[in-house]
Amino acid sequence: MASNSVGLLLRLALRSLKGHRVKVLIVGSLLAFGTFLLVFGTTLLGNVERAMEASVTGSLTGQIQIVSDKAKDQLAFYGPQAAADQDMGTIPSFPEVKEALLEIPNVRAVVPMGRHIAQPILGNELDELISEVRGAVRAGDADMASRLSAKVRRQLGVLLGEYRNRLALSAASEEVEDGIRDLETATSDEFWADFAQDPEEILAFLDTRIAKLMDDNRDAYVPFVGTDLQAFAESFESFELVEGEMVPEGQRGFLFNKHFFEDFSKNKVARILDKIHEARTLDGKRIALDPGLQAEIAKARKFTRYVTDQLDPVQAETLEAELGRLLPEEEGTLDEKVSAFLAVDDDNFDERYRFFYDTIAPMVRMYRVRVGDTLTLRSFTRAGYPKAINVKVWGTFRFKGLERSALASAYSLVDLMSFRELFGLMTVEKRQELDSIRAEVGVEELSRDSIEDALFGGSDDVVEEYAAAEIDIDSRVEGIEAVTADLQDSFRPEDVDEGTVLNAAVVLRDPTQLRQTLRDIEEVSAAKGLEVKAMPWLAVTGIVGQLILVLRAVLWVIILIIFVVALVIINNSMVMATMDRVSEIGTMRAIGAERRFVLSLFLMETLVLGAFASGAGAGLSTGLTLLLGRTGIPASSNDFLIFLFGGPALHPTVSVPNILFGLAAILAVSVISTLYPARIAASIAPVVAMQRKE
Amino acid sequence: MTAIVEIENVVKEYPLGKLKVRALHDVNLDIRRGEFAAIAAPSGAGKTTLLNLIGCVDTPTSGVVRIDGRSTSELDDGGLTNLRLHKLGFIFQSFNLIAVLDLYQNVEFPLLLQGGLSRKERDARVREVIEKVGLGQQIRQRPNELSGGQRQRVAIARALVTRPAIVLADEPTANLDSTTGRNIIDLMREINHKEHTTFIFSTHDPDVMERADRVIKMADGRIVDDGRGASAGAA
Repeated sequence: MASNSVGLLLRLALRSLKGHRVKVLIVGSLLAFGTFLLVFGTTLLGNVERAMEASVTGSLTGQIQIVSDKAKDQLAFYGPQAAADQDMGTIPSFPEVKEALLEIPNVRAVVPMGRHIAQPILGNELDELISEVRGAVRAGDADMASRLSAKVRRQLGVLLGEYRNRLALSAASEEVEDGIRDLETATSDEFWADFAQDPEEILAFLDTRIAKLMDDNRDAYVPFVGTDLQAFAESFESFELVEGEMVPEGQRGFLFNKHFFEDFSKNKVARILDKIHEARTLDGKRIALDPGLQAEIAKARKFTRYVTDQLDPVQAETLEAELGRLLPEEEGTLDEKVSAFLAVDDDNFDERYRFFYDTIAPMVRMYRVRVGDTLTLRSFTRAGYPKAINVKVWGTFRFKGLERSALASAYSLVDLMSFRELFGLMTVEKRQELDSIRAEVGVEELSRDSIEDALFGGSDDVVEEYAAAEIDIDSRVEGIEAVTADLQDSFRPEDVDEGTVLNAAVVLRDPTQLRQTLRDIEEVSAAKGLEVKAMPWLAVTGIVGQLILVLRAVLWVIILIIFVVALVIINNSMVMATMDRVSEIGTMRAIGAERRFVLSLFLMETLVLGAFASGAGAGLSTGLTLLLGRTGIPASSNDFLIFLFGGPALHPTVSVPNILFGLAAILAVSVISTLYPARIAASIAPVVAMQRKE
Repeated sequence: MTAIVEIENVVKEYPLGKLKVRALHDVNLDIRRGEFAAIAAPSGAGKTTLLNLIGCVDTPTSGVVRIDGRSTSELDDGGLTNLRLHKLGFIFQSFNLIAVLDLYQNVEFPLLLQGGLSRKERDARVREVIEKVGLGQQIRQRPNELSGGQRQRVAIARALVTRPAIVLADEPTANLDSTTGRNIIDLMREINHKEHTTFIFSTHDPDVMERADRVIKMADGRIVDDGRGASAGAA
């Protein structure tokens, strides 16, 4: 009976499905859509996870991060947690950890690290300009002095405007009002009347009363990772030097992440034009269709002073003449003309982009900081002291494939010695020296408990932080800011590993063996008393990792909803179908079909429908995945997408386990949703066949 | 000649709300192998109830119904189903063919449920009964492509294909015109003669009653006239 009846069931099921087209269409599409979503969703998410894994592990964290087992906070490289102060403790003895971990066969490299953030101090533009005027005056170059002083007057005009705005926007403060008064004086013609005869008095006023009114250029914070730069470059394969040169071994030095560097250092107008150029050429975007680009243009048009402020009168005249040729109908001030010039559209963009770089760029300083400059970085140490160091910018770098992602480009790199200075870590010798000075002077050490906990538990050659008493923020800001003068430019290579390390990246030979290696590390750590713990990359990505978890959760909630909807719809339609078929089922029962047969018939119908529909859904999903795999899903200059996709586009690959899982899940849902109607059908009594249907 | 259907002191009650409605009152009846018996009664007199009990789609409230010597009250659902499948053939008033199956498949259906036959044997059996009811040319047609008379012929073929001991027919001609109805009864009669298959059918058509060996008349849930002896003993 068995084989006959399976054949009969199948035939009956197929026939019955053919006879109920509407039901088949509704339930079938639902199941097909459910399968499609399930398979495509899990496939895409899997691909994103793999791509992001490549982004994260290849650029910064390695597959595993090692931190002290006394770390109080969760290490997070991205997102708000990364910006917050994280108490990671320190790795008690990095050389020992490195040696022990390198004995694990799957560990390819162990790179020491520490994260911190600093403010580059770029000086005050006005201050620099006044110095230039003074230089010209001293050199007796009256012509240059006059050109530069015109530049000063133009800047003072802008500054006065800013101060008046400030007054209008906030409650009047004495400071602002005084500033306005001084600026009004300094922009008046009388003030400058005697410049040619007696410049000193004017310069003195500018120096003492005016220069301070312009803020220092410290608008940006640079997040950076202090590391063994050589080891970093060798271990992370996507690391690539863009400009300049690698910091030589044993030398202190800073490497800017190229993307960050462009945002931070480049002239703002030029940067905006670059971005539009990039979006147009690389992503095929059109200004007319892209509100984002339109907003950038509007921003650039407000930034005209980043061009005009830097021009002396002769340059201003040249630019005015050139713009006159390009835009003969434009009238008004130079700023207005530059603004009109920056009102680019799809037709004139390329021409104006060329004009900007051919004509304007040579007259304007394009970068605030250049490769080769020495940068002053100021930061607060862990203990709360402000600390500043000078460090040479040796070059810029990028992570291949992620060069357009701001997120992947968040961190610049600095040597570990400089990092330790900025973070407030000292060598043992320094610590002893400080202790002896303290003893001589009779100063009692005041330290925060938390710092003591984190620091004093370590082994002897662990370096320590400056310990500080509670200092109020204002006094800290105004306080010690001396650039460490005695910091050597070079150091012994072995010092890199010997000093304190906050965390370390472990790069694996076979990344698929992540779990096993994590266990190996825990074992080694416990056996050798390394006092460290190992965390997989996803756990240390902060918001990015959470996002993946959220995406995963959202996908599952959507799938769950679809399942529930499918369950209800299939159930309802099958119950209705059962009602329609009472007589048919009764007849079957009367003729001699058992309850089990009826139950199986209903299940078979759903299984057949489910198999066709989910097959179609999985096929569609696979087709789409293959298509997208070939064309790629463009991240279209969306920073976050570039990061998630591990590059400018995601090329998803088909995953057989995901397809099988999708098919199985949908078939399970189909069967579950049919159980109730099938039981109703099976309970139909054969006697109904005898009932009249008149 | 032994009785293939034995009905002893059968009472059948149906619940109707809180009341119980008695559809059969203490019915006694024997049907012998090879009989061609009509149960004749107006609507509501209990003939369908009686047919349901004989057809093993229902069991008596009290009393005994024996089919080929087996009491239906002693069987569970599986046992009753098995009995229906192997001993009984059904012809319904509304034909009750399975709409999604064609003529051949409808006839084949009970054999597939039974199992046991090879594909070849099954095919031979199916074709044989289809030829017997005269539908050899319409073998792949669907029920909705057949006339009422043709459908009832298919139903007869389906009832006969398992070679049952008893064929039950519930007003087999009620939905057919008189000529077609007569033809159907002729066909049943012919098979009854040739194969000695027992036929029990309900009807209130006098024409049909005339052709029966025996007419069992019912009123108010009782047998009022057994009719035995009129033209009994066809076998």
